[in-house]
Amino acid sequence: MPAKRRRFLTAFLLALPFLVFLASLHVGTSSISPGVMFKSLLSPFVPSWKTGLPQATVDIVFSIRLPRLLLALAVGAALAVSGASLQSLFKNPLVNEYILGISSGAAFGASLSFVVFGNRLPPQISAFVFAVLAVALVLLISRRSDSPVVSVLLTGVIVSAFFSALLSLVEYFASPYSLQALFFWLMGNLWKAGWSDLAISLPLIGLGVAVLLLMRWRFNVLSMSDEEARSLGSRLRREKLIVLVTTTLITAAATSVAGIIGWVGLIVPHLVRMIVGVDNRRVLPLSAALGATVLLLADDIARSLAAFEVPVGIFTSLIGIPLFIVLLRRAGKVWR
Amino acid sequence: MAKAIVLLFLAVLPAFLRPSSAQSTAAITDSLGRTTLLPPKVERVLSLQPEITRLVVALGAADRLVGIDYFLRAHDDLFKLVFPAQARLPLVSMANYNVNLEVLARLAPDVIFGPPEDGNVVEAIETKTRIPVVALSSMGRFDRLLEELRLVGRLLGREERARELEASFESRLASIRKKLEGLPPSAKPKVFLSFWNVLTNTPVSYEPVNVAGGLNVAEGSLPAYAGTLNAVVAVERILAWAPDIILLQGNYPPSRREWTVGRVLSDRRLASLEAVRRKRVTYTFGFWNWWDFAQVQVETAYLARIFHPGRFADFDLVAYGNEVFREVYGVENAFSSLCRILGCEEWANAR
Repeated sequence: MPAKRRRFLTAFLLALPFLVFLASLHVGTSSISPGVMFKSLLSPFVPSWKTGLPQATVDIVFSIRLPRLLLALAVGAALAVSGASLQSLFKNPLVNEYILGISSGAAFGASLSFVVFGNRLPPQISAFVFAVLAVALVLLISRRSDSPVVSVLLTGVIVSAFFSALLSLVEYFASPYSLQALFFWLMGNLWKAGWSDLAISLPLIGLGVAVLLLMRWRFNVLSMSDEEARSLGSRLRREKLIVLVTTTLITAAATSVAGIIGWVGLIVPHLVRMIVGVDNRRVLPLSAALGATVLLLADDIARSLAAFEVPVGIFTSLIGIPLFIVLLRRAGKVWR
Repeated sequence: MAKAIVLLFLAVLPAFLRPSSAQSTAAITDSLGRTTLLPPKVERVLSLQPEITRLVVALGAADRLVGIDYFLRAHDDLFKLVFPAQARLPLVSMANYNVNLEVLARLAPDVIFGPPEDGNVVEAIETKTRIPVVALSSMGRFDRLLEELRLVGRLLGREERARELEASFESRLASIRKKLEGLPPSAKPKVFLSFWNVLTNTPVSYEPVNVAGGLNVAEGSLPAYAGTLNAVVAVERILAWAPDIILLQGNYPPSRREWTVGRVLSDRRLASLEAVRRKRVTYTFGFWNWWDFAQVQVETAYLARIFHPGRFADFDLVAYGNEVFREVYGVENAFSSLCRILGCEEWANAR
């Protein structure tokens, strides 16, 4: 791809989430004109503008749409960056952000909350704790292996299966009404998004994504063989640990507030590599931008398609997979 | 000779493969549109459908139950109050109608009442056990609930009791309708129902609200031909509907409620709603694996009192509840006990 075109594409992809964010502010059940939206957004800074605005409109903008869109941006970016980082780290294009057991750990944590503890333990907290616990188990079990990459991946699959079995056990004994809440959570959705969710998850995701983006040039080294990476002065063990811990924290933070949203971490990095190549210095930031965009668009469809709301996790697949197939047919190959 | 034996065997085989039509006198068409032939006398009943099990008890035929399903055993506090002997019945299913077919065959009921939600389960049980299975449910509609009552009453030979229960049900509803006579449409409050432990999960039709003189804001969001369906709506949709009253499903014990009145009142997203500003957020009972025949009557009257307190000023939830439960199940103070479990003494005075 010519350098000029690549630069243009990079700039466009980086700007895309902001453009989609602005458009998404206008998507919803209530029709709000651009002028009223503008006034509502600035009303905290220009108090006189607030007087003419209906309280319901201000609530829709500030308490419903804004936190939800910000959460979509953050979760989409977190999942996509995690997926891209782990694919590079494990040198495996099939790896996704949930490979180390985060999703099954989080799902089990949430099920305990819904079915066993009731409202005494919020599902977000138990999902986060068990997601981190699942990855900690994976790292603990696989730490003394001769081939760490294979061992971590294999242990991840096994720990996932273990937590999935525990989840099934909890579901088996659950009342249908607890199951309703649990299934809704498992399908992934952003409807609960409020400022309190953002206050906890946004700093964690922001910090984690920033760490991974700062390390983006190191991923080119980490994706080489261990011998090559060491010869280039990489402190492999420490850097791998930083990547694993950071991806775990941001994925767990995203999953605990939004449930399990599939495919973003697998498909988005591949899409980006098909567009701009395999250089991780570009892949990581563009994965963040495209991941955020895909989730924003999916959520727009989820909340505006019908009178009722469809879990957003369904639409990430419905948008991401056709896009992936189109690009795959055009590029003719999958980047490794 | 061998040929004759084979021919004789083939001739009598069908008699072993299906029930004799001479013995089957009742042909029942169930909620799935299946027609099932039942024996003339139903002495042993197994119900995997809690709504039907409750009706069997209400019809005074609890002694014919040969087993109990998982939901009633594990999650239904009310059923334990009205039929304590359920603890002695063998458990025949686990979650999601997962049944042990060998246990079913050993218990040898004359009929199994199954769930219409899953036709495959019904077919599989009937095919494998060769016990007739009837799939029935009210699907959240009063006419179907009464139809169900009549049908089960007929099968159990309890037509008289079924007529008695139906008459009392109709009379209670008529009394509510009478008190609401002349109510102008503008006086009907707009009601949003938050059911199944998810704020935005709502039934698109809920007859107790209509009979009680309210308007379910979600009514018509989905086609209602299948009975009561649920829809998950956006929070913005709730704001657009601007309900006067928000009702949360209160059939959960308090510790298991994901959405409480306090949580709704403090949810910033709902702050501009009239219902929230005027603190008209309260609990109602809601479905509990469809309905309990007594509880739904109490709920309808309770909702009428919430919607139109002026017309139901003398309504006493606990006294009314105990009266209905005594009439349906013959048990004293069952509703008071239920109220202690659900904490509904707190919301008994909600307006």
